[in-house]
Amino acid sequence: MKTNSQNGSQMTPIIEVTDLRVHYGDKLALKGVSFDVYQNEILGIIGPAQSGKTTLLKVINRTLEFTPDATIEGSVKLDGEDISTISDVYGLRRRIGMVQPLPVGLPLSIYDNVAFAPRTAGIRSKSELDVIVERCLQQAALWEEVKERLNTLGTQLSGGQQQRLTIARALSHQPEILCLDEFSIAVDPVTTMRIEEVLKTLRTEMTILLVTNLVQQAKRLANRTAFFLNGDLIEIDTTDIIFSENPAEQATYDYVNGTFG
Amino acid sequence: MAIFSMTRPELRKKIALQGIAFIIVGAAFIFLWNTLKKTQAANIQTPSSSRISGTLPSLLSDLNLILPISLLAVLFGVAFAFYLEEWLPTTSKVRSFIESQVAFFVEIPSLLYGLLAITVLFSYADVSKEIGTPPIQNINEAGLAAIPLQHNIAMFYAETLVFIFMVIPVAIKTTQEALRSVATPIRESAYVLGANHWQVLANRVVPLALPRILAGGCRAISRSLAVAALLIGVHIPGTRGIPDRFMLFLGGALLLSTISSFLIEIYVPATARHG
Repeated sequence: MKTNSQNGSQMTPIIEVTDLRVHYGDKLALKGVSFDVYQNEILGIIGPAQSGKTTLLKVINRTLEFTPDATIEGSVKLDGEDISTISDVYGLRRRIGMVQPLPVGLPLSIYDNVAFAPRTAGIRSKSELDVIVERCLQQAALWEEVKERLNTLGTQLSGGQQQRLTIARALSHQPEILCLDEFSIAVDPVTTMRIEEVLKTLRTEMTILLVTNLVQQAKRLANRTAFFLNGDLIEIDTTDIIFSENPAEQATYDYVNGTFG
Repeated sequence: MAIFSMTRPELRKKIALQGIAFIIVGAAFIFLWNTLKKTQAANIQTPSSSRISGTLPSLLSDLNLILPISLLAVLFGVAFAFYLEEWLPTTSKVRSFIESQVAFFVEIPSLLYGLLAITVLFSYADVSKEIGTPPIQNINEAGLAAIPLQHNIAMFYAETLVFIFMVIPVAIKTTQEALRSVATPIRESAYVLGANHWQVLANRVVPLALPRILAGGCRAISRSLAVAALLIGVHIPGTRGIPDRFMLFLGGALLLSTISSFLIEIYVPATARHG
């Protein structure tokens, strides 16, 4: 891995990934990656399929534990604390918001979907929940469309609305870090632009990890961009440099300009 | 609940299609009913000398016994399936052993269980000694044979065993399949929100798997009722009042299998489409 410049190194890293290796059985999915993520930045993570992007997010919120044959080596630190030693894994997951590629897991009403995480965290008062639900739906640019029908099923919304509902859900536990895993594959371009506007404003409140297979999306949003290929971190640098005419690695240039991948 | 997400026209169409199958089977049921009534009327004057077929299934046929046993077996099977699927790791040897046994018991036709029940009952109750006694004297007003108490107890154990082996595997298998039908991303969508295992089960897995679990329970009980009906059927020629119960059981089995197929047809595609 080469780095042209160290912009932002004066900031405090919120996530420190050190020599992270992940095996699925015999297959090596992440081949020893190291990088830092800084407070209040949007880190774009690009790369073709099978490059370990989703695995990385699953390591960070410890949902890789549900994959039976996955083994993790190396360390991931959140605010200086090694996540594998954190005993309250549910609390850890509430510090990290996660938006999955497709809107799933909505067999509840719109209200209950957003109130689910606060409820699991122990918030019971209706008035508190009302405030949280309205705030999150507004942040996800969905409030105006659904405020009249909060008790209808989440599954009855359109695809784009469902994805915004999953974003509202991910925000409902006030995460410090928001991970978005290819959130726009089920969303139309106009809605994508609306969500991107939302992300720009959210940046002031939290750190965002944006896994995307739309390189232009990373270019539009990210402060820094990391390029993954086959489980290796090829390059991580400011977005300007990654998308310039001369990034450090030829593979990065080729991928960003669409000549492979 | 996700199961209500099907639109009304879709629902009407499904019910109409299911209705056709129900009418066909229902017609066959009524035909069977009439035929058996005639057979009974023809045979009523000349009671069969086979007391065995008359005595033993009478207790088996008792709805008071079979329904609670089947219900308990289903509840146990569902709970056990949750334990296997949600708590035991896939690598567990206990789990793979039980699953292989369950797979085998599920595939055995229920007729074989019925024959097994008869055989076990015959040998345990040891009624062969009493075969010589005139049958009509041992049959009471309700059309049931009077059986010594120790025979009743033996029968109770025997039939409990048979019905449990018949019902529990079906409940386990269908519940496990229902739980597996809830895809990993759907579970993870709750885990990433900080939910624990119980909260994931209550808020994601059970609402989505419930129609299949209920359908499986209906199927399991329907199976035991059908076998009970078969055992009474052995008894039909020459005794009073039995065909009614035979038809009651067969009708119950039919109704439950209809409910089961309704649940699968109407709700499961809907839950598979949406998460």
